[in-house]
Amino acid sequence: MPTTTTSTAETSARETTARPRTRASRRRARGPVRTAIAIVLLALLLFPVYWMLNISLQPSGNALSGTFFPAHPSLDGYRSAVADQGGHLLISLLVASGTVVVTLVVAAPCAYALAQFRFRWISWALLAILISQMIPGIVIANALYTAYERLGLLDSVPGLIIANSANAIPFGILIMRSFMLGVPPSIVEAARVDGAGLVRAFLSIVVPISRNSLITVGLFAFLFAWSDFVFALTLTTKGQVVPVTLGIYTYLGAHIANWSAVMATAVLASIPAIVLLVVAQRYIAAGATGGAVK
Amino acid sequence: MSATRTLAPGSVAPATGPAPAARRRSGSRRLEELSKVLFVVPAALAIVALFGYPVVKNVTMSFQDYGLKTFFTGEAPFVGLDNYVTVVSDAVFSKAVVNTALFTLGSIAGQFVLGMLLALFFHRSFPLSGVLRALFLLPWLLPLIVGSAAWRAIMEQDSGILNLTLERLGVVDTPVPWLTSPNVALLAVVLVNIWLGIPFNLTLLYSGLQDIPDELYEAGALDGATGWRAFWQITWPNLRPVVSVVLMLGVIYTLKVLDIILGLTQGGPANATQTIAIQSYQRSFVEFTFGEGAALSNILIVISLVFAVIYLRANRRQVDE
Amino acid sequence: MTTNKITTMLTRRRTTRWAAVAALAALAPLSLAACGGGGSAGSSGGDAGATVSSLKVLDYYTDEPGKTQIGDMLNACGTSIGVGSIEREAVPGPTLIQKVLQQASSKSLPDVLMLDNPDIQQIADTGALAPLGDFGLTADGYAPGPVAAATADGKLYGLQPGANTIAIFYRKDVLEKAGVKPPTTWDELRTAAKKLTVGKQYGFAFNATADYEGAWQFLPPMWTNGGDETDLKSPQVAQALQLWKDLVDDGSASKSVVNWKQSDVNDQFIAGKAAMMLNGPWQEPALDKAKVDYGVVPFPVNTAGQTSVAPLGGEAWTVPMTGDKARMAKAAELVKCMNSDDNQMLRAKQGGLVPTKLALASQFKSEVPAMAGFTDAVGQARARTGKLGAKWPDTAKTIYTGVQLVLTGQAAPADAMAKAGA
Repeated sequence: MPTTTTSTAETSARETTARPRTRASRRRARGPVRTAIAIVLLALLLFPVYWMLNISLQPSGNALSGTFFPAHPSLDGYRSAVADQGGHLLISLLVASGTVVVTLVVAAPCAYALAQFRFRWISWALLAILISQMIPGIVIANALYTAYERLGLLDSVPGLIIANSANAIPFGILIMRSFMLGVPPSIVEAARVDGAGLVRAFLSIVVPISRNSLITVGLFAFLFAWSDFVFALTLTTKGQVVPVTLGIYTYLGAHIANWSAVMATAVLASIPAIVLLVVAQRYIAAGATGGAVK
Repeated sequence: MSATRTLAPGSVAPATGPAPAARRRSGSRRLEELSKVLFVVPAALAIVALFGYPVVKNVTMSFQDYGLKTFFTGEAPFVGLDNYVTVVSDAVFSKAVVNTALFTLGSIAGQFVLGMLLALFFHRSFPLSGVLRALFLLPWLLPLIVGSAAWRAIMEQDSGILNLTLERLGVVDTPVPWLTSPNVALLAVVLVNIWLGIPFNLTLLYSGLQDIPDELYEAGALDGATGWRAFWQITWPNLRPVVSVVLMLGVIYTLKVLDIILGLTQGGPANATQTIAIQSYQRSFVEFTFGEGAALSNILIVISLVFAVIYLRANRRQVDE
Repeated sequence: MTTNKITTMLTRRRTTRWAAVAALAALAPLSLAACGGGGSAGSSGGDAGATVSSLKVLDYYTDEPGKTQIGDMLNACGTSIGVGSIEREAVPGPTLIQKVLQQASSKSLPDVLMLDNPDIQQIADTGALAPLGDFGLTADGYAPGPVAAATADGKLYGLQPGANTIAIFYRKDVLEKAGVKPPTTWDELRTAAKKLTVGKQYGFAFNATADYEGAWQFLPPMWTNGGDETDLKSPQVAQALQLWKDLVDDGSASKSVVNWKQSDVNDQFIAGKAAMMLNGPWQEPALDKAKVDYGVVPFPVNTAGQTSVAPLGGEAWTVPMTGDKARMAKAAELVKCMNSDDNQMLRAKQGGLVPTKLALASQFKSEVPAMAGFTDAVGQARARTGKLGAKWPDTAKTIYTGVQLVLTGQAAPADAMAKAGA
């Protein structure tokens, strides 16, 4: 390990164990400033979210109100949201979590293969995957409806998981592949020499060192499924399996809109999801690949 | 039935069977090749089963007179290139093309630059950085219909908080007609789309940064590569695969953006925010001329393909290096 | 397992591998399609005369209280015609037709379908709906508007229990304080609106969005002034455009009207940012809840001697062609029940609607005096599709584009419609 290092934008914050003490302390001193900056940036970016919160507390459900704070906060919106949307929230969580699992299980091996195995047809495969991302969602949903109708997958959580995975798998392959291009083939070969099969080498070496990309893809698979409206609308018919994105239409009629209840639902529903995201994000750590090379 | 079975995660299982056996009978290269292919099979089946039909359908539909009636009678007469001629000769088409270009370019440039800066900022960890970074994803948790409603309220010309703030700060004298003037609406829509795209870019680029081995920086530092030099000599080249896939997907996703524009302006005012995707949607689902809608979405796909080919060529160079 | 076979093929040679992938690509959709066979809800019922235990219903009442009210009414009707259960699906309004098309292409249409009145002719035109005359239903005694909307090629395809339209809502207290009377002519509308524009309060608010709602709100001035959807380039239409333009140019209506939906317009009215608005009776529950003191008058006329004409709104119940005679007959009974005198009265009171049976009008006016203004208007209301039928959507697009071109200063009223594609 080199010990003579200069503090640079990129290296000073690295969480490596053997760090000169001076640098660590400097980092600690600068930390709170960065935290403050980050909070300001976050506040700016999340202002529209605050605005939703604000609207959700307006008594009249008036979406175009201009007051900075709700003058007479009313919890009516939240009362209806809690009463009506609990079940929908559970469905959304189930569908989104299921999508994460299916996406990772199917996409990760493929991404690895496309990154490391020297198939001749890789460019064609990538092109096919890219094309799949170009098709408008509604076209896919329409095709799936016909298939689901016959296969009995309408109105089911697995049905929605499959549909949402369809969206997330190509995305996952592309993202994870671009990360796995950086996995040094030598470490897998070393394991193979030790007698590990391809699959075992993949599971015990590639997966752990690709943790960052797996988590990132998982996050987006979750978010795609969570915010999906088209599949939820198309692939449910009986009102039994209703994710939140569809559930908020309890407050959005053809002519009338109760925005405070809509916003309250959106705010409430995002709480369990954001907890999951915070927890998952913690596992994106620096230098995962580097650690394994040693 | 085969289609459902291949979608199940369990179908990865066959891959585990032959692989160890292949190792024992050393020299069996065929089985080695086979097990390599099996890594790809589940995903390939899933993609073909789920996308094969829609892709083909989208192409054939664009050459048919595919209207409301077709759904009930199944009849869709072949009309050659008529649909393409119709959509391209539409008075709004050229405007939609220009808007699509401006919308995509503006969105991608804004999202990527801001996302990258934020990723670099978060790359040094500091107290609460994990939690704060995760909170940046919050906009993605809110249904788009909710997000666009909030933005519509914020960008309201007379009483919206954005104009009130800008006026109070003295940045503008008269309220900005964000969503009501044909000259400003496209910019407003781009701004909202940048807002929505930042978390995507930030999260992916951040993970990419985290994956660059420390050793590279340490070695680089020995050679005097620090600060911006370290960025250009170490970070950028190592991040390139991630950068290119983020840009590629960004372009594909931005080209087909619908919800935000529909939620904010519905393509108005006076067609100022019409894009090819919006035109396609309106032809298909408002006017129910699905053949024309498909023609437009195929035009979009061809545009995306141009970018895809550029990406793949750049990518092949990377792999060969 | 096909997977094994294919993978063995894959290993053999590169060329065969490609062939296999191609074959797989071609097969996958087919195997998806081959799995299920025909069986759809519609055809499983059996012969005519067999008992029908359940009916599938599709509508767009997703929000409360309408969702429950319609559900209760459907269930009550189901019981009264001897159908055990109603399988009801409600989807968001803008996605209803999309849903209908999906179900049509997979032959799983509902037994009873609710349609917004301007959509009926377009859907009927495809052959998806059964003429109600086949089941002995007629629209005798109904107001002419709803009948025109539901009639294509001389056949009746839907029965609409309640109707609505749009009119001028005004804040009684605000007008009184300003000494302004509710307008009866366009000139009065302009002067009143100007006088009522004070501080953050605009005199008038309407909707001119780039969608069918924007077109629908333009119809009162257009039709009242003698303009017609078959001749959008007429001076009468240009005058109506001029009225919208004047109201905005005067500063009496916000420039934001090009981006305000009817619900936004109502929000402005409730928030006291508009003294008058063009809107429909479905807003009344929200207005009452916000304790707004309001009155309603018909849309004003341009010159003396004109009569105010407003567009017909409201939804009808139809019977799709599911192919199962017994079920379709039961479905028609359900449609009939949803349109019984009692249910028309009940639905009207619940949903801010007016019964479409003319015989019920006087009883309704006496029971719900607040709706008297709308009751008369609905009697006169004109169906959007009355003249153009399935061609209405194209014209509506021209109308809203023309309105937007005028209000954003891109075209003069005289040639806006031509520029919009008329």
